[in-house]
Amino acid sequence: MDFEIPEELKMIQSIVRDFITEQLKPLERIVLGRAADLSDAQMYLPLEREQELIGIVKEMGLWGVSVPEEFGGVGLGTLGNCLVEEELAQTVVPFSFGDVTPILFDCNEKQKETYLSPALNRQKYPYLALMEPEGGAELAAMEMKAEKINSHYVLNGKKVSLSRAGKEYFGAVFAVTEPDKGPREGMTCFLVDKDTPGFAASGGEEKTGWQARMRQPITLVFDHCQVPAENVLGKEGKASYLGRKWLPSRRIVRGARCVGAAQRILDECVIQAQSWTSFGQFISGRPSIQAALGDIATNIHATRLMVYEAAWRADKGEPIQRLAAMVKLFATQMIHFVCDNATHIFNAPAYVGGLPMERFCRNVITTSSTEFALQLQRNIIARDILKGLKV
Amino acid sequence: MPLREQRDVKEIKGILNRILNTNSPPVARCRLLSTGFNPGHALNIAEDIGGHKECIGCGNCVDICPFLFREPSRRNKTEQRTSMALETIVGEDCDECDACVLACPQVDTTIKNYVVQHRMIEVMSRLEQRIGDEDEPDLDLFIEEVITQR
Repeated sequence: MDFEIPEELKMIQSIVRDFITEQLKPLERIVLGRAADLSDAQMYLPLEREQELIGIVKEMGLWGVSVPEEFGGVGLGTLGNCLVEEELAQTVVPFSFGDVTPILFDCNEKQKETYLSPALNRQKYPYLALMEPEGGAELAAMEMKAEKINSHYVLNGKKVSLSRAGKEYFGAVFAVTEPDKGPREGMTCFLVDKDTPGFAASGGEEKTGWQARMRQPITLVFDHCQVPAENVLGKEGKASYLGRKWLPSRRIVRGARCVGAAQRILDECVIQAQSWTSFGQFISGRPSIQAALGDIATNIHATRLMVYEAAWRADKGEPIQRLAAMVKLFATQMIHFVCDNATHIFNAPAYVGGLPMERFCRNVITTSSTEFALQLQRNIIARDILKGLKV
Repeated sequence: MPLREQRDVKEIKGILNRILNTNSPPVARCRLLSTGFNPGHALNIAEDIGGHKECIGCGNCVDICPFLFREPSRRNKTEQRTSMALETIVGEDCDECDACVLACPQVDTTIKNYVVQHRMIEVMSRLEQRIGDEDEPDLDLFIEEVITQR
């Protein structure tokens, strides 16, 4: 049994760690805000600064770590991606090493040129339009329909996207083409250009101050929007099969994000415990604080091993559905536990604005999944255990 | 006013099990096996409706059906809210959860008790299998992808 990370991945981890320490962490104040009332807090870095950073990452040869080589990326495996994401999650500065959603990996050659490559190079921002203002994330209640008329599809309806807004964009829009078959077999994904008549996007403007903490949703309106049949992503009615080869391992990578964020929270907790005094002694000497630190560290270690093992198996090509579900279940619970205990060590500062802690806790709790989704993970695991007993 | 005597399940156990094992919403057939309206069910009408077994169209069975909740487009196919409408629009896609039987005001309590005590536990494992077979795409992955985009 070898618990060592392969040498080449260790090297990448070290490069990424240096980049984050030297380039990203000094920029945290820009994102968190310098003013006393935090009115200059931002959601994202200024565009010019971000372009500079992208240039540095491209020079390092690490742009597109999660994107397979055939699509113009680096094609790092799941373990490599986990290591990179774990490091990236240790800063509140929102930055990625050229992350593109695997839903777009099913583009054909022409779509690759028009959509995937510009999305990877940040020339165009993809708006993933799955949710709707009425039905939310409930795919079964999807109302947006696309009707095929000759060589076109006519899209009608409204969508809400949480993607990052940009000047140049395109929509990856999910709509029902065969209502009788339900979302699994009757949903189609369309790539809709910005200038398509009948397509309008609004919202998503970047806010400053306290509003910067929340991602502003983009509303996409389709009013008799005609999309050519060649803009169907994948096959008609098979949108739920998009990115199938890559999506399950992303669940493990998201687990790694939780580990990274939790590690940073622990680091902040240690600094706090060693610098704050009560009754003439540093609080790090108090048993309850030590217990909280111990619990946090143990949980992080357990999750990290779980993530690495699952990623290692994914890279070997083994089935990972159960492991990925376990990672999501445990990592989500772990991050909530860590935030809770960190609040104890900080004596409830998770609500004090302007601290990295606050942004971390807020981010990880909002992006970690809902209770329903966790219940689904439990079902996946249990079914896998009981598989031999099926009658 | 005392309730009329309800159907003794021992008498109809065989046929009831056959109905509940059939892959179709069982509410209408369970209703027909029941004893029908009690005199106390009518508020102020001259007609004696005791023993009548027609569906009153309350729509409880349509509202509670988990399959129609997952696929509301089927529900929108008709405005009718009778047990016949339920059988027509769900058909063989029925989850066999028996929720419609429990929701129907015209099914005897004795039959409902039998369903709860002897059938529900068996149904759960079948239902869970439907939630996400390995071959079926996990739609939750798409939601995660959308929410956690950077």
